[in-house]
Amino acid sequence: MSAISIQSVSKRFPNGFEALKGVDTEIRSGSFTVVLGPSGAGKSTLLRLMNGLETPTTGSVRIDGETVDGLKVRHIRSRVAMVFQQFNLVDRLSVVTNVLTGRLAHRSWVGSVFYLFRQEDLGIAREALSRVGLTDKAWNRADKLSGGQQQRVGIARALAQRPKVILADEPVASLDPVASEEIMALLREICDRDGITVVVNLHQVELARRFADRIIGMNSGKIVFDGSPEQMTQPVLRTIYQREGIEDDNSLDMALAYA
Amino acid sequence: MNVHDLKSARPQPLPPKPRNPMPVWVAATLAMLWLIVWDLEISFETLAYGVADMAEYFSRYGQPDFTDLSRYLSLMGVTLATALWGTVFALLVAFFLAPLAARNFAPNAVTYRIAREILNFMRAMPDLLLALIFVAALGLGPLPGALALGVHTAGFLGKFFAESLERVDKGVCEGVASTGANFPQMVMYAGWPSIMREALGYVLYILDRNVRMASVLGLVGAGGIGLALHDTLRLFDYGQSAALILVILATILMIDYASAWLRGRLG
Amino acid sequence: MTTALIWRWPTPNGLPPLPLVGGVLALLAGLWLTAPIVEVDFVRLIGSLGRMVTFAGQMFVTPDWEYVPQLLAKMLETIEMTVLGTAVAIVVSLPLGILAAGNATPHPVVYRVTRDLLSLMRALPELVWALVFVSAVGLGPLPGVMALAFVTVGFMGKFFAESIEVVDHKAVEGVRAHGAGWLQVRLFAMLPQALPDFVGTVMYILDHNLRAAAILGLVGAGGIGYDLVMSMRLFQYDRLLLIALSIYLVVTVLDRASDRLRSRIIHGRRT
Repeated sequence: MSAISIQSVSKRFPNGFEALKGVDTEIRSGSFTVVLGPSGAGKSTLLRLMNGLETPTTGSVRIDGETVDGLKVRHIRSRVAMVFQQFNLVDRLSVVTNVLTGRLAHRSWVGSVFYLFRQEDLGIAREALSRVGLTDKAWNRADKLSGGQQQRVGIARALAQRPKVILADEPVASLDPVASEEIMALLREICDRDGITVVVNLHQVELARRFADRIIGMNSGKIVFDGSPEQMTQPVLRTIYQREGIEDDNSLDMALAYA
Repeated sequence: MNVHDLKSARPQPLPPKPRNPMPVWVAATLAMLWLIVWDLEISFETLAYGVADMAEYFSRYGQPDFTDLSRYLSLMGVTLATALWGTVFALLVAFFLAPLAARNFAPNAVTYRIAREILNFMRAMPDLLLALIFVAALGLGPLPGALALGVHTAGFLGKFFAESLERVDKGVCEGVASTGANFPQMVMYAGWPSIMREALGYVLYILDRNVRMASVLGLVGAGGIGLALHDTLRLFDYGQSAALILVILATILMIDYASAWLRGRLG
Repeated sequence: MTTALIWRWPTPNGLPPLPLVGGVLALLAGLWLTAPIVEVDFVRLIGSLGRMVTFAGQMFVTPDWEYVPQLLAKMLETIEMTVLGTAVAIVVSLPLGILAAGNATPHPVVYRVTRDLLSLMRALPELVWALVFVSAVGLGPLPGVMALAFVTVGFMGKFFAESIEVVDHKAVEGVRAHGAGWLQVRLFAMLPQALPDFVGTVMYILDHNLRAAAILGLVGAGGIGYDLVMSMRLFQYDRLLLIALSIYLVVTVLDRASDRLRSRIIHGRRT
């Protein structure tokens, strides 16, 4: 059964930039998918469409058979968590409160606007924090943590949503290699143990190869590759990272040789 | 400029100097000011005599008469209380209106427009005019003054808050929005915590301002120390006027220092 | 941990942080204590709603069109007072601003004295000074302009000083390295850098002064304020409506213009 289904989606921004030019794909429930591609290929837009942060110009995005649109967006978001490149935590709130924001969609606003939470929500937050190994930092302010730790709080926030899907938009682009490795392993573990569908945008080919079940390659708004990590050969990488109008790109070969 | 140009024997003539419009502007401004002086019939003679007399005039304030000090202090207390109530009222109104008037938080364009217009309207009405109206409706006393201050500064505070909210990092908003938070939750989690410090600074600034304004609201019958000052000045009682001005001055400077100290600790 | 407590704050003990509780309680206590002083009376407040509506109803009368020429003249006078008061204040504030800026002042003592002088000047509202100046030079726009200029110097001098204090130090060093004198450094290195800030400040203060000028007439210091109070006292609502509308209109126009100019300056500097 497919968790996410994307049907002939295209997206044109008000400034005229066409980020997606007719994308069709299905993402299987419980799988770990990596989306690869150069900057500006439309990876972020694709992910943001699945969470309703953007709306498609044409086509439709469905999560578990429900179309993501304006009216149901809150309901959909409660089950589709998002992890960001810049972590996007509220700096001034404690780590626990940041994780608890993951519970907001599940509760009415009456208590939550006074920062009051139910005992069970605090339990969920505590559990999520122990999953990412940050129980001891629970009462710290979010901006006092290192980048890797902040990203783990981001993942704990996603876990607290009890989501069906976690979307991670370049979750390791602002982190050092060791922290990147930890974050990817954490996402993989969440996918395996909880059966949560994970979709990750990445720049690093090598990380994609090691962690993904399936890799989707994108270039200038279109899917140019879709297959297992084993199928992703050097010529495939060339098509993914090819710059428009440049047939024979030496620097690309050089870069890919080290990838 | 390339190397070839530098080698050429004769220096190239400079491009024509762009006309500097500055003198025209200065001349126009001066002309306008002169016109204004002429139109307002400001006579420099009066001013000169006034300034010459000023020293003598101010010397009349030389002996402040503090015999009624306890009454002045209690009037000042009324003024401070009026300012406090006005500020809290403004804070309450701004707290609810500002998120609606911030482009990135407002649920839709219509509420944004309406909230902005309400804030603009409140700001545009001078507080003394509002005080006049509220005195007419409520009768004399500090309450209409507090309401007038509240309505007028709610417009300011709301605008300041809305502008701060609009500067909240887009990522933080998306982070909270992506969890499925609704409008009030967005405001309480992504909004206020991010601008807490700035907002407190604005509230202190408005409190400061309201204390100054509250001390003149008495002029229109809205209680406090302003009315007493008005009366003593009318009766040319310079001793009591001086004492009243000193009481107001001391209080405002104290508030000034206290709020500067508080702001320093916050920032 | 008791199970009876279902709702908790996300803090170690489940209670809101102490400073916050203390602050809120102190504020509430302050409001409660001052309520009788301010004569807060919700019954009276609600009771007055009826009168507010009646009052608002009285405002909707046919405007007194014959009053319009006088209104325009008075409004013009108000604007002229604003402009003149602000212009005088600019001229006085520039040197004072330099003296009151930590990095431009000739001596720490001068700095301290100027700062205190400025804060004294802005301590009392225009209306109090207008009262004083009216008794000194007589009725008319002159004491109004004086009061406006006096208080504005207090604010503008402080704002100018603060903008001078944040100018880029390197450019100042550069000019100084070329042998510029004391005054030259201030005129050619510091002021040009602080200029965009100055323009923003002036717009902000013009805005403030227009509101202030509109009420100075209350004490006989010129402008629309006198007509405002008189029409209020004489229940001439057909005039009051026109006056209130014209104040609203002029203030709003200036407000929008200054917003636009300020944002243009800020964005202009960013690029």
